Amino acid sequence: MIKDRVANLFRDYDEDVRKVIAAVIVLEQEHISMERPRVKDAIKEIIDEAVQK
Amino acid sequence: MKLDRITLENFRQYHGKQRLTFSKDSKRNATVIHGVNGAGKTSLFLAINWCLYGEGPSNTGELMSKEAVSGAREGETISTSVELAFIHDGERYLVSRRLVGVKQLDGSVPVANLDDFTMMRTKRDGQAERVNNPIGRMNSILPSNVRTYFIFDGEKIDDFARPEENEQVRYAIYNVLKLEVLERGRNHLQAVANEYRKELKNISRGELHELVEQEEKALDEKQKAILRKDQLEREIESARRKISDIDGRLREMQSASGLAHQRDILDGELTKRQSESDQLVSNIRDLATNGFIVIAQSAVEKALSVLDGKRERGEIPSSIRQQFIQDLLERMQCICGRAFDVGGEEHRRLMALMDSSLPGSLEDNVLDTAAALRPFSERAQSLKDTLDRSMQRRAELFDIIRGLEEQLDDVSRQLKGSPQEEISRLEKQREDFRADIESYKLEQGSLETRLESLALELAALKKKIDAAKKDQTKEDVLTRKMSLAQRSADAIDQMYQTFADEMRERIEAKTKEVFKLLIWKDSHFQDIKLGPDYKLDVIDRYGLSARPDLSAGERQVLSLSFITAMSRVSEEEAPLVMDTPFGRLSSQHRNNITEHIPELADQLVLFVTDEELRDQARANLEPRIGAEYRLEFNRATSCTEIVEVNS
Repeated sequence: MIKDRVANLFRDYDEDVRKVIAAVIVLEQEHISMERPRVKDAIKEIIDEAVQK
Repeated sequence: MKLDRITLENFRQYHGKQRLTFSKDSKRNATVIHGVNGAGKTSLFLAINWCLYGEGPSNTGELMSKEAVSGAREGETISTSVELAFIHDGERYLVSRRLVGVKQLDGSVPVANLDDFTMMRTKRDGQAERVNNPIGRMNSILPSNVRTYFIFDGEKIDDFARPEENEQVRYAIYNVLKLEVLERGRNHLQAVANEYRKELKNISRGELHELVEQEEKALDEKQKAILRKDQLEREIESARRKISDIDGRLREMQSASGLAHQRDILDGELTKRQSESDQLVSNIRDLATNGFIVIAQSAVEKALSVLDGKRERGEIPSSIRQQFIQDLLERMQCICGRAFDVGGEEHRRLMALMDSSLPGSLEDNVLDTAAALRPFSERAQSLKDTLDRSMQRRAELFDIIRGLEEQLDDVSRQLKGSPQEEISRLEKQREDFRADIESYKLEQGSLETRLESLALELAALKKKIDAAKKDQTKEDVLTRKMSLAQRSADAIDQMYQTFADEMRERIEAKTKEVFKLLIWKDSHFQDIKLGPDYKLDVIDRYGLSARPDLSAGERQVLSLSFITAMSRVSEEEAPLVMDTPFGRLSSQHRNNITEHIPELADQLVLFVTDEELRDQARANLEPRIGAEYRLEFNRATSCTEIVEVNS
């Protein structure tokens, strides 16, 4: 699957970065039909969660 | 995504409820739906797009079955819906889009502005649930910008092979292979990192480090001052002991003992007077703190004169209390019992009295204030008298102390001028020790002042450090957030081009492989190129670009090769739904495509005319057909019925 291939691209990066990218990709995919998606707040939540952990 | 079934209700020429089940068999993976021109193939194709993505005519009312509208009574509700069941990642989904309208007197059926789109999911464990964000979920399964490469009109797909369509090729690859998702993710992460950076800039002043350094310096200075003060104390003590020794020796010397004794008396007197003077100065300082009474005296007197004047004129307390007037106004009746009306003479006079009177509580306060101010003058006078007396005594003491000091100087002068060298030397030494003590005391005083100011500085610094520590915690968290957002954006940036190039090369190889299978002039066309500029090109046997010379059919084959290559490279399980795919293809291409295309798709849905699928093409496809339907148009009702063909 392409999503596994994309995830595999970042295998050499640290776990926090991998988790953030994986979550952001899911988020962006969900909003792909929008020309100007408002996802910044959701991305901040992803970053918050990763930093708090 | 694998389509399971579609159910239409009053959708265009499909009157009532009609259902079609797609083949999900992996061997017989083709579903063929055939019908003559106008039978309803495109409507069925549209139903899939409308149900999944809301794609359709701008006037959604056109989607309603005319037969259903015609048969409805005025005021009757008409419902149009398409329901599509599919399987994705082992989970079953049921999506539904519905329009509802009420038939009007003039026969029209205005529909609600928003169609109703719902999605239900049955998980692997059999639990069914409604999906809260159906559009977002649909975008994760088969995004609307990608669906055109999987669900398409066969006659329009040659766009990818037109010489001027590099941008469209690039766009298709970006969308199908998640490059668009990666690019957006990178841009949004970068924007978030920039926001954190800006926020960090606003709170971060590097202040804590600087404040701690200042505190360290102040503490160091304080420590040194305390040590020096102790040292001075010891020096003073030592000098005093030496003076005391000298005094003892002078007392023992016959020629100096008289003067030494006189000095003892003078010193005792001086100490006593100085102590009295110090006490007096302290008292004067205490009296001065109440000096505001004297300063405020003229203002207090003026206030008393105003209040007394009002009292003398009978304004305070007023002859009639405000509460009394209010009571009369509430009762609208005089104390004699006579009633009066609003606007009448009595009422007007009472209102005028009300305006000029004061509330009872205010009057009491004014009177209390006057009583409180009256003792002020007496207290001010007493204070002034005490201060005058103290200052006078201080001046007297000053003169006494000066006189005693002069006498002591005289004694010292006499001793220094003694013809006995020992006496003169001892007195000079004594004078030096006294001078040392004075200078030590001066330094001590200066150190004490500095220590007081250091204590204040340290208290202020502590407050600032506490505040800066709070900022520092926020700063640390923000720094970590910014770093993570930036590292994530950088990671995507670093991998993006590698991934894009790899995907492009894989699509190039796969397109070539499929094109070779589908094109009948396979020996003429030698190669397929998909360059970094996303130009899709065909290279002929002469090594030249053949794209401008491709026929319409060849362009369609190239585009189909590109689309199926993308589908294979993306490794996404998705159906290939093609409307009239073979309309303008010659038999050679048609035969090749029907022979190979079922292998290149997980699920194939073909909307074809009878003409498109016959002879060898039909024979090629036959072993792969898992479901087949015929669209039967009824001339009498202008409606289409979906009829399953049993092979």
